[in-house]
Amino acid sequence: MKYSHANRLGIFICHCGVNISSTVDIETVKKALTGYPGVSLITDHTYTCSNPGQDMIRNKIREEELDSVVIAACSPSLHENTFRKTLEEAGINPYKLEIANIREQCSWVHSDRKVATEKAISIIKAAVSKALLNEPLTPISVPVTRKALVVGGGIAGIQASLNIANSGYKVILVEKEPSIGGKMAQLSETFPTLDCSQCILTHRMVEVERHPNINLMVSSEVTRISGFVGNFEVTIRKKKTYVNAEKCNGCGICIEKCPRKTDSEFDRALSKRKVIYRPFPQAVPNIPVIDGEHCLYLLKGRCGVCRDVCGPGAIEFEQEERFVKEKVGAIVIATGYETFPIENIPEYGGGTIPDVIDGLAFERILSASGPTGGEIRRPSDGKVPKEVAFIQCVCSRDPEKYFSYCSKVCCMYTSKHAMLYKHRVKDGQPYVFYIDIRAGGKGYEEFYQRASEEDEVLYIRGKVSRLYREDGKIVVEGTDTLLQENVAVRVDMVVLATAIRPSQDVSRIAQLLKASVDENGFFTEAHPKLRPVESMTAGVFLAGCAQAPRDIPDTVSGASAAALMVCNLFASEELKHEPTIAGVDEDVCSGCGICIGVCPYEARELDREKRVATVNEVLCEGCGACTAACPSGAAVQRNFTDKQISSMIKAILA
Amino acid sequence: MEISYYPGCSLKTSAINFERTALSTLEELGIYALELPRWNCCGVMFSQSADNLMLQLAPARVIMEARETGRKRLLTLCSMCYNTLKRSLLFFKRNGEKLKKINAFLKLEERDFSAEGVEVIHLLTLLSELDTSNFKMKIKKIKSNLKVASYYGCLLTRPREIALDGVENPQIMEKLLEIAGFQTVNYPFKTDCCASFQVVNRRNVVKKQIRKIVTSAVRNGAEIFALSCPLCEYNLDSVQQELAQEDETFTPIPVLYISQLLSLALGQDPKLNDFSLHRIDPRPLFKEKGLL
Amino acid sequence: MSEVSATKADFEPKIIAFFCKWCTSAGADLAGTSRINYAPNVVGIRVMCSSRVDPEHVLEAFREGADGVLIGGCHPGDCHYQTGNFKTMRRAAFLSNLLDALSIDSKRFRVEWISASEGRRFAQTITSFTEEIRSLGPLSRKRLLKESARGGNHE
Repeated sequence: MKYSHANRLGIFICHCGVNISSTVDIETVKKALTGYPGVSLITDHTYTCSNPGQDMIRNKIREEELDSVVIAACSPSLHENTFRKTLEEAGINPYKLEIANIREQCSWVHSDRKVATEKAISIIKAAVSKALLNEPLTPISVPVTRKALVVGGGIAGIQASLNIANSGYKVILVEKEPSIGGKMAQLSETFPTLDCSQCILTHRMVEVERHPNINLMVSSEVTRISGFVGNFEVTIRKKKTYVNAEKCNGCGICIEKCPRKTDSEFDRALSKRKVIYRPFPQAVPNIPVIDGEHCLYLLKGRCGVCRDVCGPGAIEFEQEERFVKEKVGAIVIATGYETFPIENIPEYGGGTIPDVIDGLAFERILSASGPTGGEIRRPSDGKVPKEVAFIQCVCSRDPEKYFSYCSKVCCMYTSKHAMLYKHRVKDGQPYVFYIDIRAGGKGYEEFYQRASEEDEVLYIRGKVSRLYREDGKIVVEGTDTLLQENVAVRVDMVVLATAIRPSQDVSRIAQLLKASVDENGFFTEAHPKLRPVESMTAGVFLAGCAQAPRDIPDTVSGASAAALMVCNLFASEELKHEPTIAGVDEDVCSGCGICIGVCPYEARELDREKRVATVNEVLCEGCGACTAACPSGAAVQRNFTDKQISSMIKAILA
Repeated sequence: MEISYYPGCSLKTSAINFERTALSTLEELGIYALELPRWNCCGVMFSQSADNLMLQLAPARVIMEARETGRKRLLTLCSMCYNTLKRSLLFFKRNGEKLKKINAFLKLEERDFSAEGVEVIHLLTLLSELDTSNFKMKIKKIKSNLKVASYYGCLLTRPREIALDGVENPQIMEKLLEIAGFQTVNYPFKTDCCASFQVVNRRNVVKKQIRKIVTSAVRNGAEIFALSCPLCEYNLDSVQQELAQEDETFTPIPVLYISQLLSLALGQDPKLNDFSLHRIDPRPLFKEKGLL
Repeated sequence: MSEVSATKADFEPKIIAFFCKWCTSAGADLAGTSRINYAPNVVGIRVMCSSRVDPEHVLEAFREGADGVLIGGCHPGDCHYQTGNFKTMRRAAFLSNLLDALSIDSKRFRVEWISASEGRRFAQTITSFTEEIRSLGPLSRKRLLKESARGGNHE
């Protein structure tokens, strides 16, 4: 009886009104357990969870000097914590409590009184034999590093960073691109208010850059994450940009003089940019970077014009990538989304017909700062398209071939696209092919109605079955399911509302964090309703489209919620952790290391000196897999020891 | 290599040139197709379109014959036979109850039917599995500039679970034709239905379909069609002729089985082709292109 | 214990079950709140994860008089501890072979994945397992006792 300190155990049987007592004969139970080894008291109460019930328990503990307690009542998921507090208040360790579930798993599922009573006795006996071996435990305290890491500098990351920083905590914001702003910076105007996206976003980007609590790291990636809630250690790779950000004054003469051009990623390859470039004029930070894949100097050792014209001498062709290590207490994942590449949708002419573009490319065409200066011209020949087909649900809601989920934002942005097109091409005709219109949001339905009624957007309810070129036009064939006939429209340009996919970084970051992603590759939340911004990994929170397709208002409110969870975590100096975790009997451990491979949390390590396994008390979540796997019995799960389980088996079968 | 072969009705009559050229092409490439000793009609689409288990008896008997040969794979040439047999096989694999019922019925014949151990394979799949370098080496004709439109129709790629290639844009025929030295053209209607049996009583439906398919293929540069279905062949061939009589601007183009083109490319005896079976004579075109 | 000659009808099997806290035990609670009646022959031991169950516990249960042993865990992929139930799955395969080798019909041992929302499935599982054990009859323990005499207690 190595772990046993118990010799005065009390059993409290709850009637739960008549919920238990109507099928379980309490008196018989009491009789059967009187004199059971280790039991010094056995009593009952109509409602043990009520105040008088708890008073009774507290008094009995004091009067009878009990040191462990079994409460036979409802499921431990309901009142285990309540009764643990009761024990603590009565002056004994809360982990000396054992709940015997005689309601959900006995009185409520059996109707025969004799049978239910017998089963209740077995359940209580098992609980007693375990309780006698329960150790007193103390929750494990962990210090918290009050600094947050935000991964991704789109609107979600910007919002979360500002919220955390404004609460007085330090934030490291890591963005892989040379500027923050993300996809929102690429948008023209935003539904349903038609605010200019840049106008509402850029001042927030500047606020991030100027904030004393935010350390902004652009052109950077998180490469390693170790540790646990409150105590993460992250490694961040600063990619080569060949421009010294300390020296650069952002004058832009290097960009002007650079002789070479390549496709602009920001403009979805609809325009060219220089090889030394800012992704867009309002970039934050306002520091150009050199694209190493296209730079003549870096590729062939020729040119070097930018270095020659740079006044402050900020161009550094010999720059190396750097790795920075940081300690943080919480992580917000805001890695955002990609749109499904149209090259992968050959059936809609993606990648083969130049005038078939995706929604983001159309945003750039609509944007006043875009490749056409906001004039609607098609990519192939720069002509103004007189008829445009917008196709919704491309790859979304398509479980047979692509993804079953709804990408959520397309109905609204397609309405916006069609509306803005009509505003700019007065004699033009927009067609929208749709399955359903999902306009759930403040002002959304009204916006869609405006598009279809005032702006004469022709909505065709049906999927497009085929799309091909004929005589300089693009023929879009489909079925109008409302008229129940096949339709074919001949248009000049097609805009595909392609599915929103998690950013490619999601799977990489998920691996670093060992956090789980769903079947579609989006991060999984701890609970879809009650813990929507927490990931499955403690201390890691989710914001924006890394979790699911979202529009801007939802992203911003989610990001604020994630920031609040971070602040919540930082509000106390230490964290409490359940103590029913694994331990090691060092005298028995042979150091074989089986437990290390079994542990899903990397809580197990080998102590090289003592040649025994160790447990990181903070990382251990207490599943007990190592205890079952240990061949020597050196691994123990506190208050779930082999001895306890064995005595329960014996008690039940006796 | 030996493989069991199920011809189906048309392959012995109107499409005899399909069978001859396909079998000789395979033989040239080292594959010997052994005709099932006993066979009946595959059951055609009636077996798939009605919820009547008795209609599954025809394909079930064919599958049973194939199993009894002990060879795993069963070759089909006709797209309709392929579609019917493959779907029937899948049906019995998925419906254990139905399989039992059919077996109970077949007890009188003292035969045991099972959907396991047999695989239905189409000529195109079989050819595309072959070593392309070997294939290329055997090509006798000089590279031809004949522009071929592959016509899949509906039976090779639908439903998806039996499709022998991509459903939206299959490429299997194009790849084979290119290996054999032909040029291929792309056009949007290669998987459209030819209107099938509608030809019996609703010829207008067929005409509409054929006009659309042919016009699009010709617009994209096609000079000839390649296909693998005797019914598609009949519809395309006969209806084009009719359209040409009604409308002077309509230019019909010849319709051939893909194996005919492959056989020509391999330098085999043109007599195997029996061009007289085609209403639109392809010989002038072949002569012009130096293939005859 | 001996080879009881009781008829199968009046034989009441004794079954030990291990339920993981997050799924199967919660499923059992749901069966309770939904008042779904099921066979009373199973007494559950709640563990944090099905992977906590050492094969030794299963053997011990048979040794101590159980006629059947059930392990209930989360559905594959849904484990609260990421991969615990996969460990259980592997151990179960091993254990079934071992039981056969010990002349204990491996039908007496079952692993079931029952989620927190499957109260009805929980009840059906308990009842069907009980009926299966009832049809198998009481477990003869002679051979098992011999094994245990050789093996000894691992604690």
